[in-house]
Amino acid sequence: MNVLMIFDQIQAGMGGKEKADIAPGGKKGEIGSVPMIKPHLAEVDGKVSACLYCGDKYFKDNQEELERKMIGMVKKLNPDVVICGPAYNYEGYAYMSAVLAHKINENTDIPGLAAMSKENQDVIAKYKDIVNIVKMPKKGGTGLNKSLSNISILAEKMFKKENIEQLKKDICY
Amino acid sequence: MFNKLEDVLMPIADKLGKNKILVAIRDGFLISMPLIIVGSLFLLIANFPIPGWSEFWARFFGEGWESYLSTVSRATFNIISLLTVIGIGYSYAREIEADRIQGSIVAIVSFIILMPTDIAYEGVEGPATLSAISFSFTGTNGIFLAMVVGLLSVQIFHWVYKKGWTIKMPEGVPPAVTDSFAALIPSGIVMLLFFLVRIGFGLTPYESAHNFIYTVLQAPLMGVGNSLGAQIVYVVSSSIFWFFGINGPAVTNSVFSPIFRTLSIENLAAFEAGLPLPHIYTGQFVDLFQTFGGGGSTLSLVILMVAVGKSQRIKKLGKLSIVPGIFGINEPIIFGLPIVLNPVMIIPFIGVPLMNTILSAIAFETGFLPYTNGVALPWTTPLGFSGYLSTGSLRAAIFQVILVILGCVVYYPFIKVLDKNYLKDEQAKPSEDELEDISFDDLSMEDL
Repeated sequence: MNVLMIFDQIQAGMGGKEKADIAPGGKKGEIGSVPMIKPHLAEVDGKVSACLYCGDKYFKDNQEELERKMIGMVKKLNPDVVICGPAYNYEGYAYMSAVLAHKINENTDIPGLAAMSKENQDVIAKYKDIVNIVKMPKKGGTGLNKSLSNISILAEKMFKKENIEQLKKDICY
Repeated sequence: MFNKLEDVLMPIADKLGKNKILVAIRDGFLISMPLIIVGSLFLLIANFPIPGWSEFWARFFGEGWESYLSTVSRATFNIISLLTVIGIGYSYAREIEADRIQGSIVAIVSFIILMPTDIAYEGVEGPATLSAISFSFTGTNGIFLAMVVGLLSVQIFHWVYKKGWTIKMPEGVPPAVTDSFAALIPSGIVMLLFFLVRIGFGLTPYESAHNFIYTVLQAPLMGVGNSLGAQIVYVVSSSIFWFFGINGPAVTNSVFSPIFRTLSIENLAAFEAGLPLPHIYTGQFVDLFQTFGGGGSTLSLVILMVAVGKSQRIKKLGKLSIVPGIFGINEPIIFGLPIVLNPVMIIPFIGVPLMNTILSAIAFETGFLPYTNGVALPWTTPLGFSGYLSTGSLRAAIFQVILVILGCVVYYPFIKVLDKNYLKDEQAKPSEDELEDISFDDLSMEDL
C-alpha cells in the first residue's frame, strides 16, 4: 500500500511556527515525522511513497488555489491512500487536514483521512460527518503510539474498501 | 522493549496529566511566573554582577539606589505564598468547574485566617505586638501551606455549593449579584472551618498551621528534592516521556516544580539579603545547566546538524532550527527530525541532559561554580548570558559552552547514523534528482 502524507511545515521538518507561510512542496520518499508512523504502517503493509507539505498560513491565504493544486498533485502521484496529519492541536494544520482530506475524497477515487486532537472543536464539528477524522492526543499528550496505529489500520481498510463502520465508531470523532 | 516501557509509562503520564490536583498546582504556579520574572529583573539590575556597578550608578542616583528597585522585587517574591494560594485556588476551581474568582478569593482569605497576625517586636518601651501580615509567612516558608489551603478551601467551597446550600435570587437579578449571594454561605462555611483549624493549631506546640506544614512537610520534601538523585530521576523521566510524544517536563513538573521553585526563591531571598546562597538544585539549575536549548539539550544536536550534516534533509532542518534553538525552542527538532518515537535518537536525548546534570552537580558541589542566585531569567535567555546572569560568574558562561561542546560529542555518532541513512535515500536516484523533489510548478493545467 503506497501512502501519501500531507504535512504542515513543522511535521515536514521545514521549521517552526515562524515558517507558517512557506509555499507548498514535496518529496518522493520520507521526510519529517514519517519515522513516527513508519513502523505502524509497516504492520499493515504500508509504506510512505511521497510527502507533500504546505505552511498552514499559506494554505489559508491561498486556499482555493491550494485545494486544486494539492488534488492535482495527489492525482499525479496516484497513491493508494492519503493521510492528512497527524495534526495534534495545531489549529491551522488541523483545518488544512480536514479540508484536504474532504476535497481528495470528493474529487478523486483515492481515499483520504485526517487525524487531529479534540482541541480543534470547530474543525471537528464541521467536518466529522464528511471526513474520517482519527482521534489523537494534543501535542505532548498521551496515546500517540496508539493513535498512529489507529491511523494506519483505518488507512488500510479504506484502501481495501472494507467495512469501517465499527472501527470509525471506536477511533474517529 | 519500547512497547513494554510504554505500557508502564503511559498510565503514569495519564494519571499525572489528568490528576486535577497536580494540574491545578502546576498551572497555579504558572500564574505567578511572569511576576517573578519581572521582579527578578529588577533585582538583577540592582545587583548586576559587575564590580563597580553599584558605585557607578550611585554617582547619578545617590547611595542606596538599589533599595528603590528592591521594592519591586520584594513585592513579588516576598508574597509568593499569596500569589500561590490565589493561583492554585483559581486553577483548581477551573479544574473542578467551580466559580474561579470566588474560589481564588476564598482561598486567600482562608490562608490569611491561618496566618499569625500578631507580630512581636521590641519597641522603645519594651516588647509589644503589632497587628500585621509578616513577609515571613507570605514568602517561601508559606508555599506548601498555600498549596494545601488553595486546594482544600476551593474543594470545600465547591462541595457546599453543589449541595445547594446557597441563597437563591429571583430571576431578573443581574448575574453578578446572583453569583455573589450564591457564594455567601459556601464562603462562610470555608471561613468558619479555617477559623476552627487556626484555633486547633493554636493549641498544639506548633502554634500555627504555617509552622506545622513547614516543619512536617515543606522542609523534608525540599530536602529530598534538593539532591542529585532527585535531579536524575527528573531529567531521565522527562526525556523518556518525550520519546513517547508526551511533553515530559509538563508531567514531571507537576511533581517537582513546587520544590524547585521554592529552592530558587530561597536562593533569591538570600541573594537579595547578601547572604550565602543555600541551594544547588534550583529551577535555574534545571533550566540553564541541565536542559538548555529545549528538552534533550538539543542545541548541541542542531549545531552538529548544521556543521557536519551531509544530507540535505539534516542540513536544512538544522539551519532552520538553529535560531529558535538558541532561544530554547526545539519544536521543529522534536517533531521534524523527529525525536518522538525515533529509537536512534532516544539514547543521546536521555544521555546529554543526564551528563549535563552530573557534570554541573560536580561543578557546583566542588565550588568550581558559584551557586545560582535564583534570579528567574526567562527560559528563552540564550546560553552564556544565562549562565553569567544566574551566577554572576564568567566561569559559568564558559562552563555552559563546554557542556554544549560535550553534548555535540555525545550526539555526533547518532546524528551521523541518521545522516548516512538520509544521504543514502537522497543519493539512491542520482540521475533522477528532479524526481526526488516534487514541485508544484510542474503541475500542468490538465492536472488541475
